Amino acid sequence: MTRPSSSAPYRRPGFWRRLRTGNLSDAQLGVLLLLPALLTLAAVMLYPMLSVAWQSMHFNRLNQPFRGTPFIGLQNFGHMLGGEGLVWSASKLLWLRLLGLASLLPLAWSARRRRIGRVAAAGLAVLVLVVFAGLLGLHPSATGRWTDARFWNSFSITLLIIVVSVAGSFLVGLPLALLANVPSRLRWLGRVALLLPWAMPRVFAGLTFAWLFQSQYGVVNDVLRRLGLHGPLWLARVDPAIAAVNITMVWKTSSFVGLILLAGLQSIDESLYEAAVVDGASAWQRFWSITLPLLRPSIAVALIFRTLTAIQTFDIPFAMTRGGPGRSLETLGVYIYNSTLALNIGYAAALSVVLFLLSLLITVFYLRWIYTE
Amino acid sequence: MTAAPAPTVHAGATRRRRRGVAYLAVRLGLLAMILNGLFPALWLLLTSLKSEDELTRIPITYLPEHATLHNYLDVFQQNPFARFLLNSAVVSVVATLVCVLFAALAGYALARLRLRGRRAILTAIVMTSMFPALVMLVPLYRLFVGVEVPGLSPLAHYLHAMGWGFMPSSVSTPNLLNTYWALIIPYVALSLPITTLILTSFFQLIPEDLEAAATVDGASRLGALFRVVAPLSAPGMVTAGIIAFVNSWNEFLLALTFNTAMTMRTVPVGITLYQGQFAFPWAVISAAITIGIVPLVLLILFFQQRIISGLTAGGVKG
Repeated sequence: MTRPSSSAPYRRPGFWRRLRTGNLSDAQLGVLLLLPALLTLAAVMLYPMLSVAWQSMHFNRLNQPFRGTPFIGLQNFGHMLGGEGLVWSASKLLWLRLLGLASLLPLAWSARRRRIGRVAAAGLAVLVLVVFAGLLGLHPSATGRWTDARFWNSFSITLLIIVVSVAGSFLVGLPLALLANVPSRLRWLGRVALLLPWAMPRVFAGLTFAWLFQSQYGVVNDVLRRLGLHGPLWLARVDPAIAAVNITMVWKTSSFVGLILLAGLQSIDESLYEAAVVDGASAWQRFWSITLPLLRPSIAVALIFRTLTAIQTFDIPFAMTRGGPGRSLETLGVYIYNSTLALNIGYAAALSVVLFLLSLLITVFYLRWIYTE
Repeated sequence: MTAAPAPTVHAGATRRRRRGVAYLAVRLGLLAMILNGLFPALWLLLTSLKSEDELTRIPITYLPEHATLHNYLDVFQQNPFARFLLNSAVVSVVATLVCVLFAALAGYALARLRLRGRRAILTAIVMTSMFPALVMLVPLYRLFVGVEVPGLSPLAHYLHAMGWGFMPSSVSTPNLLNTYWALIIPYVALSLPITTLILTSFFQLIPEDLEAAATVDGASRLGALFRVVAPLSAPGMVTAGIIAFVNSWNEFLLALTFNTAMTMRTVPVGITLYQGQFAFPWAVISAAITIGIVPLVLLILFFQQRIISGLTAGGVKG
């Protein structure tokens, strides 16, 4: 290339100059602007994910440094999952299983009405049967040889909390959202009441409800006493403690569901309701054929976030009973924390991997379900 | 058609009565909702005003007989609660500011620039919020204790062995446990997905012409971002900031694990210190929780519509 020798050789302005004068290309500027966020996420999310997967294949007890941190392959997982001697007892959480099996009725009803496909209905029915009839009744037998019965205990209590608290938060959250959307002079107070449980730290909610459920001086037992009933020792017995923790979880999380659904309700076009009223639709029909279908995206979002946070349940059982009585409320989260506290890092990492796979599985399941709808 | 008026009147009366029932049901529902949301907090407030002997009396009293502020004094005397408040405030405020700044930069790029795969990048960022925070516990703990820097450490070791005795034999990251950074860094990351989502959808609402006008007037792209887009999107930033603040103020597990020194505890962790092995001084715990909720209640009272609209952006688009 020949240049006219009289003019100075062309120099492209430097990076900083182009940045100042705004001559960066969109791609360059984009990388620059996205970099802080992506680097933070990579350091705090991506690195831990890879590191935890690598750690889970090592033996690592910080309190036994002389044993080193040898690579042991999948032994942690073998220890966690392995064993024999599973028993099925009909009495274990019977009330809950009956409640779950009752959900087959609306399922059959909507399959008959062709609201959902037959294959999907059959799949869901199998899922309900497996979870409610099978998993909730199965548990490691006392005489069985399980290398880590504690894991199975924490797995089943986590599963139970997911099912009960997610279903409960929708049963309570949907009416809350509908009420918060009704025009009234008290609406602002209603919205404060909806926001407060959402904003309240989970630990505070746990401690507050531990006080409400306190067996001698708590409000709950006082109300029961006035009704002539004898309230249980809520947090000292296994079944009442499970119920109390689930009630607290529902109280705390229904407001999140309510807020997301309220947001969805606010985006529904008012004129649809007016048209339905003109057509003579009853309030119930309007709810079924306008509100609920249009609320679907919000329901899906709330469902995904609720389930994924329910898998990680830690704060509320920890604050209420420290995972007790015994280990009855030691969720996977509490177990991971306890293992870390016991400085058994390799095993805690393996537990984290299981937790992560569980949330991945649920996310994939939900996303497939959303995309097929 | 002489009988026509009578049925009309009848139908009208039924409708009015129907509306009356529905109206009553909604009113009762609203009251139940307010009671459900506010009763636990109200009960804490009442408990915090009672003396310890009044609490251990059967039947229990609902309103305090002799209201006392003694418990609030105890909160500060038994544990360095003022320090906990300071720690929580510093960590939450810094994490919120950094988070909103990073999210605004990323959100602007995702909303405005012609980037290939920006939709995929946004999806990826939002998907990280599905990542269980619990899984971060072990690796971040190890990271914050200090790990050898890969690449640098072997080099340092080699130089050290070669006779450069003044060189350290390995290079490690600093020990961040029991510092504010151990909490600020993960809190920024925890709130980044939702704040990026909120700000991206907010930037998309600002008319592009305004920015183009600023560029014509000689401002650079970044200049336009800071002088034109940022002020216009202040409401969106406030919303994102509130959500990031609430997330950071409430976080428990990481604070419990990383900052174990008494002077570095945050409020949620500090509050669990009042309970003994067997004794639960409920009056003092209630007072401590009441103080801890105050900032959140203020935020809710002043910004309720903003929070709801922020969750709208997050909920509908996500």
